[in-house]
Amino acid sequence: MTQLFTEVGQAAKAPSGLVPFRFREVGGDYLLSNFLGDWVFVTKDEMRSLARGELQTGTPLHDKLASKNFLRDSIDAAKAAERIAHKKRFLNYGPNLHIAVVTLRCNETCVYCHASRANMDAVHTDMTPEIGEKVVDLMLQSTSPAVTLEFQGGEPLVNFPVMKHMIEYALARNRAYGKELEFTMVSNLAMMDEEKLAYLIDRKVQICTSIDGPEHIHTKQRKLVGGNSHREAVKWIERINKAYIDIGLDPTLYHVEALLTTTREALKLPREIVDTYVSLGCRAIFLRPVDPFGFAGRTAQIVEYDRSAYNEFYRTAVEHILDLNRKGEQVLERYASIFLTKILGDEEPNFLDIRSPSGSGIGALAYNYDGKIFTSDEGRMMYETGDPAFQIGDVFSSNYRALMKHETIRALVMASIRDTQPDCVNCAYAPYCGVQPEHSYRTQGTIFGRMRESTTCAVHKGIQDFLFGKLRENDPKTTEILRRWTTVRARTHFIQASSAS
Amino acid sequence: MSMSFDLGEGSVRVEFDEGLYPRDAIYGAAYVFIDRCYVHLDRVADKRIQVSLKAKKPGVDSQALAGEFQNELLGQAWRQKIVEDNRQFVETITARALGGAAGPPGLDELLSMDIGEETAFDDPLGIAMSWEEKYKKKGKTSDAKSEGEAAANTETSGGEAS
Ligand code: SF4
Repeated sequence: MTQLFTEVGQAAKAPSGLVPFRFREVGGDYLLSNFLGDWVFVTKDEMRSLARGELQTGTPLHDKLASKNFLRDSIDAAKAAERIAHKKRFLNYGPNLHIAVVTLRCNETCVYCHASRANMDAVHTDMTPEIGEKVVDLMLQSTSPAVTLEFQGGEPLVNFPVMKHMIEYALARNRAYGKELEFTMVSNLAMMDEEKLAYLIDRKVQICTSIDGPEHIHTKQRKLVGGNSHREAVKWIERINKAYIDIGLDPTLYHVEALLTTTREALKLPREIVDTYVSLGCRAIFLRPVDPFGFAGRTAQIVEYDRSAYNEFYRTAVEHILDLNRKGEQVLERYASIFLTKILGDEEPNFLDIRSPSGSGIGALAYNYDGKIFTSDEGRMMYETGDPAFQIGDVFSSNYRALMKHETIRALVMASIRDTQPDCVNCAYAPYCGVQPEHSYRTQGTIFGRMRESTTCAVHKGIQDFLFGKLRENDPKTTEILRRWTTVRARTHFIQASSAS
Repeated sequence: MSMSFDLGEGSVRVEFDEGLYPRDAIYGAAYVFIDRCYVHLDRVADKRIQVSLKAKKPGVDSQALAGEFQNELLGQAWRQKIVEDNRQFVETITARALGGAAGPPGLDELLSMDIGEETAFDDPLGIAMSWEEKYKKKGKTSDAKSEGEAAANTETSGGEAS
């Protein structure tokens, strides 16, 4: 890139009529993106002529740029404003995700544990029914018309009675609020039984679990005392998926979601991991790198790795997923789907860590078992490991509006606007990107972050380089598959019937 | 000499021209090191600022520490410049984000307001005052200040009402 401008040298000047744009070399061409999120590839020669200030009307380059809103004269200002408002409409509403840590107790020990678990006898880390009610009360005050109550831990099944109480209480209270209410539980499933399952199915609680890949790696990384963590998870995934079929739900849409934490061990097995997920009936694989929060920070030497190794793993795994799609298997990678939704259209998937500003506080809140409230689950984990920087209140004394106007939230909003960050401000991927400021704080000591050294940025750049590389190749079959990954099929079954008057 | 370094065992003293970097950028850069270092800021001569970083743990490469600080300082200064250039944009997005999330005060909040015997007749905005009472003293420094304070208090107590 610098090479090109060195060549052009003193002759460099911008052609008149171009809107400000950012660019990046991808696969031998230049990717140009503008403030609307429109993008276009130009060849090196075309870029050279742009750098010399040459842009003739009637040329293919001129037409290409005009069709993608890179020329001031061809932009419909009203439409552009509408598009931006549509993309940022998540700013009209407050937190829709409410994470309740109903206990810190957990029956499994994981090498990368994010949740700062407590031993099974630490009953004092169980949320009480009273705190659970206060969590629900605050959640229902959100300005978001749709709210999700996500039960986490520790292992939430350890404190099942309080989880049940919160569900019943939320259903009753929501009669007055009439919000689109959903419940989710993130569990290792080892404590599941038929009675609990019947309740969860009946109350339409979505179930999400963790699978680290093939059995040998899963059991090595997740220890279940007196049992096999992988076999338990697989047994219950199959059982739950069958339960969905039994009540007449489409298994391609309704099935247990499983999450991967990519450890150093996992990097060696990209294809095997994908195959494991597909064999379990999963339609979406989220190839998440390991997080620096909670205990993972302490066990970094066991699980951490260089992000270039991760990017290599990601490419191999997604190439494999694409191959499976070409053979008729419907499976997608979640990161790809989030970025592609923004790259290929004007929709915002509202994934809280990859939007600008991020969802910290204004998109999600995390409630600890003791009632303390945090801007995110990561902020809560940092509290558990000794840093209260992201605590914004507690369920006993905080009111909703005061929480949303908390100075920490204000700072996190400002810190997570991509257009005002060094590096991001010049990055062609800024219109599609986002970074969680808690991550920057944890890894770099500043909520603003230094993207050049950020592992999140390295991952986001790597993934977008890969995706744009694919789009540049313009293979119709591959492009069609990537486009299909942006199709959203709403899981309406999980939305609680609202009866607000 | 615009910037000079004095490297010690796990410590570094960086001295530079105050006019070169905005003060907030210096604070911002120094702050990033507080978990790893003891940080001290000083003005050592006319328009000369000195930042001392002393690692809390042994075995820290002072050369790397100095380089890291320099990069951080540059990053902070540039970030500020970008934010300055986009102030209106940032303010619009921030206001929209916080406004959208907080929403207008609802019944719950109004009900939870502290309206007791003593506070019922507080009138921080001066709504119950006559025009003359409210504006006649304007222009006098002391009263202008108390107006400003009243406004700030309103904001604060609004934020803290629970
Ligand atoms: S975080 Fe990285 S990839 Fe994303 S916009 Fe910023 S510089 Fe680009």
